[in-house]
Amino acid sequence: MNTLPQQLANGLLLGSMYGLIAIGYTMVYGIVQLINFAHGEIFMTGGFGALTVYLALPSGTSMWALVPLMLIGGAIVAVLIAVGAERFAYRPLRGAPRLAPLITAIGLSLALQEVVRNFYPDADRARAFPGLDNTHDIGSVTIKDADIFLILAAITCMAFLALFISRSRTGRAMQATAQDPDTAQLMGIDTNRIIVIAFAIGGLFAAVASVAYGLKYGNIDYRMGFLMGLKAFTAAVLGGIGNIYGAMLGGLVLGVAETLASAYIDGIPGMEQLGGASWANVWAFALLILVLLFRPQGLLGERVADRA
Amino acid sequence: MTEILTKTDPATRGLVPLPHAAARVLLLAGGAATAASAFLAWTWTSAFPGDLTINGYPGGLQWLTFTAGILTVLFALARYGTPGLGWLSPTGNNAPVVLSALGALGTTWFTVIAIATDLGGLTNLEPGAYVAAVASLLPLLAALALPQQGAGEQTAKETLGHYIAKAERIPAPRATAPWIQRLVITAVTIIGLATFTYGIDTEYGELFIGYLFVVVFTLWALHTAGLVDRFSALVAGNRSFTLAMGFAAAIAFPFTQTDDHYANIGVNILIFGTVALGLNIVVGLAGLLDLGYVAFLGVGAYTAALVSGSEFSTFSGVQFPFWAAALSGAAASLIFGVLIGAPTLRLRGDYLAIVTLGFGEIFRIAVNNLDGDSGPDLTNGPNGIPAIPDLSFFGYNFGESHDIAGFTLGRFANYYLLMVLIMAIVVLVYTRAADSRIGRSWIAIREDETAATAMGINGFRVKLVAFALGASLAGLAGTVSAHVTYSVVPNPYQFAGSTPPNSAFLLAAVVLGGMGTVAGPLLGAALLYLLPEKLVFLQDKSLLAFGIALVLLMRFRPEGIIANRRRQLEFHETGQLDVPDTTTLTDQPAVTKTGA
Amino acid sequence: MTTQTTPVLEARDVTMRFGGLTAVRSVDFTVNSGEIVGLIGPNGAGKTTFFNCLTGLYVPTEGKVSYKGTVLPPKPHLVTQAGIARTFQNIRLFANMTVLENVLVGRHTRTKEGLWSALLRGPGFKKAEKASEDRSMELLDFIGLAHKRDHLARNLPYGEQRKLEIARALASEPGLLLLDEPTAGMNPQETRATEELVFAIRDQGIAILLIEHDMRFVFNLSDRVAVLVQGEKLVEGTPQVVQADERVVAAYLGTPFEGAPGADEVAEVEAAEADADTATPTATADSTTSTRGESQ
Repeated sequence: MNTLPQQLANGLLLGSMYGLIAIGYTMVYGIVQLINFAHGEIFMTGGFGALTVYLALPSGTSMWALVPLMLIGGAIVAVLIAVGAERFAYRPLRGAPRLAPLITAIGLSLALQEVVRNFYPDADRARAFPGLDNTHDIGSVTIKDADIFLILAAITCMAFLALFISRSRTGRAMQATAQDPDTAQLMGIDTNRIIVIAFAIGGLFAAVASVAYGLKYGNIDYRMGFLMGLKAFTAAVLGGIGNIYGAMLGGLVLGVAETLASAYIDGIPGMEQLGGASWANVWAFALLILVLLFRPQGLLGERVADRA
Repeated sequence: MTEILTKTDPATRGLVPLPHAAARVLLLAGGAATAASAFLAWTWTSAFPGDLTINGYPGGLQWLTFTAGILTVLFALARYGTPGLGWLSPTGNNAPVVLSALGALGTTWFTVIAIATDLGGLTNLEPGAYVAAVASLLPLLAALALPQQGAGEQTAKETLGHYIAKAERIPAPRATAPWIQRLVITAVTIIGLATFTYGIDTEYGELFIGYLFVVVFTLWALHTAGLVDRFSALVAGNRSFTLAMGFAAAIAFPFTQTDDHYANIGVNILIFGTVALGLNIVVGLAGLLDLGYVAFLGVGAYTAALVSGSEFSTFSGVQFPFWAAALSGAAASLIFGVLIGAPTLRLRGDYLAIVTLGFGEIFRIAVNNLDGDSGPDLTNGPNGIPAIPDLSFFGYNFGESHDIAGFTLGRFANYYLLMVLIMAIVVLVYTRAADSRIGRSWIAIREDETAATAMGINGFRVKLVAFALGASLAGLAGTVSAHVTYSVVPNPYQFAGSTPPNSAFLLAAVVLGGMGTVAGPLLGAALLYLLPEKLVFLQDKSLLAFGIALVLLMRFRPEGIIANRRRQLEFHETGQLDVPDTTTLTDQPAVTKTGA
Repeated sequence: MTTQTTPVLEARDVTMRFGGLTAVRSVDFTVNSGEIVGLIGPNGAGKTTFFNCLTGLYVPTEGKVSYKGTVLPPKPHLVTQAGIARTFQNIRLFANMTVLENVLVGRHTRTKEGLWSALLRGPGFKKAEKASEDRSMELLDFIGLAHKRDHLARNLPYGEQRKLEIARALASEPGLLLLDEPTAGMNPQETRATEELVFAIRDQGIAILLIEHDMRFVFNLSDRVAVLVQGEKLVEGTPQVVQADERVVAAYLGTPFEGAPGADEVAEVEAAEADADTATPTATADSTTSTRGESQ
């Protein structure tokens, strides 16, 4: 069970979730240079949206119907909140000094967490989420149905995004805005709309990740956005901020690194006590600091609009 | 918007259609009636706190109504130009009176409604309450009937806006002798202390809310009257004296308390205020967003705990004298500050935010794990280090009560006084650093890093100094907090939690209070600590309130309550109404903003 | 004051490449002490990129730049410390600081009181602050803004803001002052005033390098003028020589001429276009290189 291939598989699965969330961070940062702190909470609310759909549907509904409906429910919530945040919290602060939207984002993140905790029934502890628990054994690796869903979802999303960015008009407009927003505007691109789309896609992918998370772990919690969000941002930086392929790559690398560290660090003499789940997050952050020290532009290089 | 109020202009009228003379009389009468209604019984049962049941003896919230009523009368008399009271309303605008009346209305109606809801029904209200409710409506109606420029032509909303607007230009006061200035400052300090003490001593939430109504609206009224500006100018000319007065007031506070519980609140406010002031150097002066600041507080606290001689400490044989412990705490935080800052301050500011957030989490996780099981035993894990002995200087044991000059100083009062000393140091550090070569370089870096670098400022080095300084001040405050709370545990040192201290709370305190000022973070910390403390129902929702507050503040008043002039200008790009945005090609001298 | 010919700034064979784009190509350049040198060229010629190589913002891909014999350090603040000060094309004052504070910030490199000094406020601190203030007021007097010392920089009219930027740059006691389009947006009177200011600065012993588009301004002031076209130095000489050179005129107008830099690429593109059988070749054939990375 704890063989290297299993750990790798676990790491990649965890990493795909990070990657999906990271895309939201990286797209927004690439265009407006804002760390959307609330993105972790958008991920979380997507999960609660999906849960609401689940609870509203009669029990016994087949998962084949449930999962798509939950995805839709989660996506609607996440995208609405993401777009709403952009429109009402961030857009008025476009010209303000950098500190202002950052602080707003933090406030929004807090507010969203607390709204869910206070007003969603029984949300102050983890809430059960339907799981896809059937396992399959492939060689020495065991994966669940939920993991298959995650893999398929991640691949589909990345493929969609790649096509969208490179083939569609809006996608190209997005690239242009990410490189040079002022010129893009002069070329007739509605940069406001592009920014909204970036937020929306980020929200959509976060919702997918959230449903995958719930299906995999069987529960969701109002605090899950904080840590996942932090690590997803780490992944985005690791891969190269602004670079959507970097986001997924960074996610996978982070997921694998974190999983392997938890599993094997205590095998290193002198570090016996530093392994295991309790230190996993520390290693993730340590990785972030190392990346920032030695390769701040990330693995695939950054793509940030030049605002100087 | 350059209207000049002319009291004698017959064409102006008020929002509420009342003849002017009637309005003026009604205003005075209403204010007096409001005050008088406090002497009636408002309810027949003492189930509502404060005992509002006896005619002739106001209790609890009734005193607030009384105060608000009297203030309304005073502002009204000033507005009418009564000799001797003119100073209360230098521009003769309607705002102070309207706001004061609003405050009276607010607190009275709040009380009445609270009685009804708490006790379950209007039957619980005595006629006196109805009298009060009606009486408090009158001054507001009358005030809105006073002539206000443009009342006829504009929409009601715009007119209302003008009613509470501050006048554009406040005439400068007559020059007064220095001793009179100092007298005024002293008087204001005493009133401020009394008000603050009253606020802290409120025993039940409803009283605190009523208190807030009166205080907020009165302050707002004073602000629109221009008196706050005048006082600021007074303070600016008497800086050291004001600071001394401030500290005298701070020191006097515990002597005004009969119950050590309130001194506990006081010392907590001081600790958080001091830490917020340290964060202010990092965020407010240098513009670096540090989201893990509370970790530095934690480092200081843990260091102090480890060397305190507590038997749970890993170094239980060691007991440093306080000055050594304080230095160690500050030094430990300094080292961590440099370790975190060195790699990240070279990068763009957004990354600093994330890294500090991460560091804050790492600190808590690490400290939680270093219990011998998941890591070497340094901090005793989740149980933390309890049983920290009290400090003792020259035989003065902080843990015991002492009687001084007839006043009793309990345990918290003792620590409170120590914290006043520490806060004095931090304030000194802050003001001296801000007004110096390094302070200017921080502001330059914050304003335009490229230009600053071109002027020869080493951005990285300067930022690191700010960051490390902030860290060490937090560490210093942390050493005291360890002794105050008897023990240190990992749990509070998180980004966001239900009780302070946590990084979100500190950031909110700095932002709400006002970045870049001395009084701002202290005010912010006091407010953010007191509100959930006093209003128990808020405790659960306090984080939600912080979050919403941050969003709204950044949108509408990013400079916070006490605005640093420079920051206000930074946030409101077109704040200079007198100078057009586009450049002029002639050498017309532009209007200045000197002395602000 | 005799003009010595000791070089203050020496740029040898400076080349700056950004990926595939060569913005500056093998430029040799010298400024001697007491000289005013002008640098002109059409937009996109690489002037600002070259400028940034002189201020530590860019490290040249090839070649080197030395100031008074020492190679320039790779960081802008160290370059200023070494003795080169600059102004910016788009004014970059500290808008929310007062006029005096702006100049005080300029004094940063020539003072050394750090945090401890500020906290302890010994006599050394007070003396240093006083000295900085005195020197700053001297500079403000020099440019004529002393009476506005407590005005906010953002409240100054445009011309005075430009002067303030110069005063701020002078505060770091430079041996070489780089002025980036100092008269952009000025009317003729302001331009005259700036001319006199520049002469006055030169008379203080500071060498000056100007980038400018206002030809009369440049030619009035400069002892020597260099022309940069497509990243290469086309011509260098006295104003009279440069003014008379037809190639300079042609470069500005965009008409092709013998030996124009970048001519090979132009020829290639023309050939390709002819091959591709598109519509009539465009008249201005040498505007094909993109100008990313430069703001000129």
